[in-house]
Amino acid sequence: MKLLTHNLLSSHVRGVGPRGFPLRLQATEVRINPVEFNPDFVARMIPKVEWAALLEAADTLHLIEVPKEPIEGYEHDEEFLRKMHHILLEVEVLEGTLQCPESGRLFPISRGIPNMLLSDEETET
Amino acid sequence: MSDVEETTNQLLDVNLHENQRAIQVTESGPRSESEHLHVTVGATVPTGFEQTAADEVREKLGSSCRISKDRGKIYFDISVESLAQVHCLRSVDNLFVVVQEFKDYQFKETKEEVLKDFEELAGKLPWSDPLKIWKINTSFKKKKTKRKKVTQNSSKEKTDNGRGDKTDERDVKKEFTSNVLDSQILDYYENPAIKEEISTLVGDDLASCKEETDESSREETDPELLKFRVTCNRAGEKHCFSSNEAARDFGGAVQDYFKWKADMTNFDVEVLLNIHDNEIVVGIALTEESLHRRNITHFGPTTLRSTLAYGMLRLCAPQPTDIIVDPMCGTGAIPIEGATEWSNCYHIAGDNNPLAVNRAANNISSLLTKSQVKEGMGSKKRNWNLYPACLREMSRVCRPGTGRAVLLTQDKKCFIKALSRMGHVWRKVHTVWVNIGGLHAAVYLLKRTPQPFVHPSEQDGERSPCTQR
Repeated sequence: MKLLTHNLLSSHVRGVGPRGFPLRLQATEVRINPVEFNPDFVARMIPKVEWAALLEAADTLHLIEVPKEPIEGYEHDEEFLRKMHHILLEVEVLEGTLQCPESGRLFPISRGIPNMLLSDEETET
Repeated sequence: MSDVEETTNQLLDVNLHENQRAIQVTESGPRSESEHLHVTVGATVPTGFEQTAADEVREKLGSSCRISKDRGKIYFDISVESLAQVHCLRSVDNLFVVVQEFKDYQFKETKEEVLKDFEELAGKLPWSDPLKIWKINTSFKKKKTKRKKVTQNSSKEKTDNGRGDKTDERDVKKEFTSNVLDSQILDYYENPAIKEEISTLVGDDLASCKEETDESSREETDPELLKFRVTCNRAGEKHCFSSNEAARDFGGAVQDYFKWKADMTNFDVEVLLNIHDNEIVVGIALTEESLHRRNITHFGPTTLRSTLAYGMLRLCAPQPTDIIVDPMCGTGAIPIEGATEWSNCYHIAGDNNPLAVNRAANNISSLLTKSQVKEGMGSKKRNWNLYPACLREMSRVCRPGTGRAVLLTQDKKCFIKALSRMGHVWRKVHTVWVNIGGLHAAVYLLKRTPQPFVHPSEQDGERSPCTQR
């Protein structure tokens, strides 16, 4: 699971609504997976990123050099874009958990795939 | 529907001439001659997606298409240099080169006369250029690696976490070892019992005529002694003959003309005789296995045809950096097509069935599983609850104003009913009627209205959800 994906996931436990985001990340196995750098792609993704959630996740993974926010003129700042590319797309959580911040429910991550399945009782009506 | 007749072996009863003379299929003339060759290519596409396929042809080959009244077929003109690129089209199932088209064929009154006409037709057709194309095409196919072994590594390289490696794709196209991966498992989603009559002379009667066993590979035999078969598709209510008869008599004449050998299973040349009411197209096949089996090596019981998945994605017109979600991905047909063609988008796929996820994981590398709906899939009764819940969830996830959704369903009645209650968030923009192995389904393209999603727990006045993008 990449951090970009984590940035898009939220808990769907009944009643939590938007308070199910962001999921608290805990990782026991992480891998760095090289991905071809596409500056346009990264630049266009920046505005879509929920920055606080990203910082929180990056922090639990002990990632260094994570920009606190997009800098002015980031679209043309290759160094900035490369850093963001690495954080969003190259860091893979293989094993770990995601926790719903509101209900505490844990979702396991196994072989890079988060399992978000809820039981019938847990889902929204 | 025409009658179903027993297969005949009359074609093979015809005395096979061990004649050394044969029509030369290629000229050893100067190269420049064949380089300026232009031909009409026909392609079969999922019924209903003719326009989508035509768009792809225009985009990638620069050719405009004619869409045939014979559903599921499009025609376009190309120069021989573009042949390799034609094979890279992702919305087409099968390709053939057109020998001749008859827009308004005049059928005679009696069966005997009609069949006699077909016999005489064989010798009058302009075979030369199409056969040149066939020959060039065959040499392409020999370069393609057979039974490409799929390992976890190779599929990862192919899609690379949803973004695709552009360099690899370009190289691949040049070499013409395209993304076709031979599958070993039958696609159960395809129902072979399809409406139109398709007749190829095949069967147990002819087994004795097979000289080679199934194990033999398609090695180059004496180039002048080609093996062929004729496949006839016939659709129309006013025909006084069956496709079987047409294939038999036309095939017999083709054999006499070229001195080729008839072989139902181990053929070099497949001649196509497509008859749709008064429209007849004679062609030569350029593809063996259907291209729609590419990418998927691990099939499940309901694998979506790759060409159909591609068509659905194209309907959405994905823009760079769009996020494309498939929450019922099954074995991953849609995200795979998406990641390969639209590598500038971010593809997320999930399923509520761990088995499906396992299979999909073998096909692509980056997945998540999630279930946003309570009910399972597969029964109409459940659809009454599933569809509204599904539409509601999708409206939460999609960005108001610009978000799009494409859904394929056979339960059209239920879907339309569910959609009618979601008019505040979804607007139906386009419908494509498709035929999947005999099942009449529809693909709906929906656009998200500008109205923001209001979460049930937010209705007491808190600020709107932050997860909308």
